[in-house]
Amino acid sequence: MKFQDLSIKRKLILMTMLTSSIALLLSSASFLIYDLISFRNLLTHDLTTQAQIIGYNSAAAMAFKDEPAATATLSALTAKGDIVSAALYSPNGQMFAHYFRGGKTLPDTLPTCSAQKPYRFEGQYLEVCHDVALNGDRVGTLFLQSDMRQWSMRARRYATICLVFALVSVFFAFLVSSKLQKVISGPIMHLEDTMKMVSANKNYEVRAVKSYSDEIGSLIDGFNAMLSDIQQRDGALRGANDELQMRTLELEEEVSQRKQAQEELLNAKHVAEEASRAKSIFLANMSHELRTPLNAIIGYSEMLEEEARDSEDADHIRDLQKIQFAGKHLLSLINDVLDLSKIEAGKMPLHLETFDVRLMTAEIITTLQPAIEKNQNNLRVRMADEVSSMRADVTKVRQILFNLLSNACKFTDHGTISLDIERKLENDQDWIRFQVSDTGIGIAPKQRDNLFKEFAQADTSIARKYGGTGLGLAISYKFVQLMKGRIGVESELGRGATFTIELPVQVRTEADPVRPEGSTSDSLAPTSSPANTGQDTILVIDDDAAVRDLMSRFLSKLDFNVVAARSAEEGLRLASQLRPLIITLDVVMPGRDGWWVLNQLKADPALSQIPVVMVTIVDNEAMGISLGAANYLIKPVQRERLADLVQKYRVMRSTEPKTIKIPVSISHSRKGQEQTEAHNPRRR
Amino acid sequence: MARILLVEDNEMNRDMLSRRLQRKGYTVLIAHDGEQGLAKACSEIPDLILMDISLPFIDGYEVTRRLKANPRTRHIPVIALTAHALLTDRDKALKAGCNDYDTKPVDFGRLTEKIENLLVNEKTL
Repeated sequence: MKFQDLSIKRKLILMTMLTSSIALLLSSASFLIYDLISFRNLLTHDLTTQAQIIGYNSAAAMAFKDEPAATATLSALTAKGDIVSAALYSPNGQMFAHYFRGGKTLPDTLPTCSAQKPYRFEGQYLEVCHDVALNGDRVGTLFLQSDMRQWSMRARRYATICLVFALVSVFFAFLVSSKLQKVISGPIMHLEDTMKMVSANKNYEVRAVKSYSDEIGSLIDGFNAMLSDIQQRDGALRGANDELQMRTLELEEEVSQRKQAQEELLNAKHVAEEASRAKSIFLANMSHELRTPLNAIIGYSEMLEEEARDSEDADHIRDLQKIQFAGKHLLSLINDVLDLSKIEAGKMPLHLETFDVRLMTAEIITTLQPAIEKNQNNLRVRMADEVSSMRADVTKVRQILFNLLSNACKFTDHGTISLDIERKLENDQDWIRFQVSDTGIGIAPKQRDNLFKEFAQADTSIARKYGGTGLGLAISYKFVQLMKGRIGVESELGRGATFTIELPVQVRTEADPVRPEGSTSDSLAPTSSPANTGQDTILVIDDDAAVRDLMSRFLSKLDFNVVAARSAEEGLRLASQLRPLIITLDVVMPGRDGWWVLNQLKADPALSQIPVVMVTIVDNEAMGISLGAANYLIKPVQRERLADLVQKYRVMRSTEPKTIKIPVSISHSRKGQEQTEAHNPRRR
Repeated sequence: MARILLVEDNEMNRDMLSRRLQRKGYTVLIAHDGEQGLAKACSEIPDLILMDISLPFIDGYEVTRRLKANPRTRHIPVIALTAHALLTDRDKALKAGCNDYDTKPVDFGRLTEKIENLLVNEKTL
């Protein structure tokens, strides 16, 4: 383990001990060295002094060459245990006398001595050379050799003492530092324990105890401050958490409540829808049941009227006419109810076809003539030049306009009723706008809201005075919705009302998708054709020779120029060559069939505007209409129907778009028929 | 004058229609149900048939289909009469082979016009 990784306690002890040991070691060592050097100096001095004494004592013996005396003097050295050998050398360097302890010997000649430094350390010995002089004359040299045993022993002893002292000191240092380190490590370890406790138990209420006001003290202060901060935040967090949990619970409860409410609503909706459907079915059945006796009432009264006419019984004629009128009125009411129930049951299909708005308007006005005259009203029709034909359910458009206009007639007396028809472009779509205005009794603002609701006539007193079920506007409203149009009303009580209907020039349903380019609303009206060859030409495309023959003969009688084609390819070729007014098209042909021809025709911008009348045994009107056919006739074809159709297209072609002025008095020759048509608009 | 076969189960309607048609100068043959209508059409070969659609046992659609399947009676124009004023009824009638269609209560003027049209157009296209 590295020093750095040791615990603070150990580090402190180790540091203290190391510091004190180094100090002790250094001081002991310096003391020891100083002492050893001093002792050696002392030894040297001592030996030198000894040499001077012996030299002085043996000077006479040397001068007189008295060897025994000299040896005796040297022998006195036995008392000095550390001097191992001593020798006196004559001035010529020859050994004169000597003293040896133990087996030690000296060389016969004098070892070289330095004049400056009389002593020297040689190995384990201290050697001193001393000149022996008598009266100032040098008579010989004394050489002493002392071993360093004394010094070595002292050194060893001192070292031992030092070691012992050092060990004792280290021991005490350990004891002291062990005690003292707690001052520093204690608070830190306490802090650590506190921290561990906090992190283990997540208990932020614990506080570290501050012992001293040193750096650790301020560290503890900081730690405690941090803890209380955390504790506060923890508390706040816990509070927020609790609140959140409560909110979540509340929300969950609310969600489940809403879910329940939604389910209840859904159930209620199902029940309501079921009830509505049941009502519609009931109404349809009721209407049916009501028609049967009405059938007899109208029929018998008509029959009786005829008989009365034959017998010229004028009184009965009037009464029978009243019965008839009442019966027919009742029938129209039943029809309205039936219409509404069909709309509500979702059983009111749209039969889209292209028709001339001008012609339809003229028809309606003819039908309405008696109603206009009844209250001596004036009818003004204004039709903008660009209004020509539109594609919609003609029966329904007719019924809407009829309803609005007959209402206007009903509620206006000696006034003016206006019908304005114009085209407008809005949101990249062509619209046709019908506006029916009158100068009649008008509608109060609060009654306007209920105007288009079923069975809600503006005022119950109105029903008594003017009659009607109040279903006309509701039906008109639903029809307009079916054709994705808009209906609105503006009125001021007593000053008349203005109803506005806006229908797409090309009404579309899911089964009647967007038609190819070139057959946009602008090209709907075949007002101008690039080639005049086909002005009154009808192209008959059929593989059956008998059919071609019959059609040619029949249409020729109607002053049409008929060209026949035997196959799909020939038909298409002739169509682009002649640009006929109308094309009649069979479906089942060898090779390419009629659907293919229809597709090709509608894909060609130059030909797409030519109305195509399907004449076929294939019963698939929806397919034909969706591919762009203008009409669909199933073989065997009624001559009358075909004649009506082709005449209609001829009129459409030849009518110059201009404001038509329809005189108020129109011949009433077809009055009865048209009236019925208005009452019975489903007749096709 | 033209002979018209009226197939109608409702007595009142039958009585009324037959009398009115007779007043117009038509010879009216009567059948109470589909079976009788088929039999009379085959034996009498009328010029036109007025066919009520809601007949007991065999309905008017089926009677018409059978008439149109029979070479002897195929050419006889049939006008369907129904109290149901739904467009699908019209489609069904035309699909069954009826030449025209009208709703009850009949508008007599309109009905006679249709009768005349069909009688004049001896041959359809």
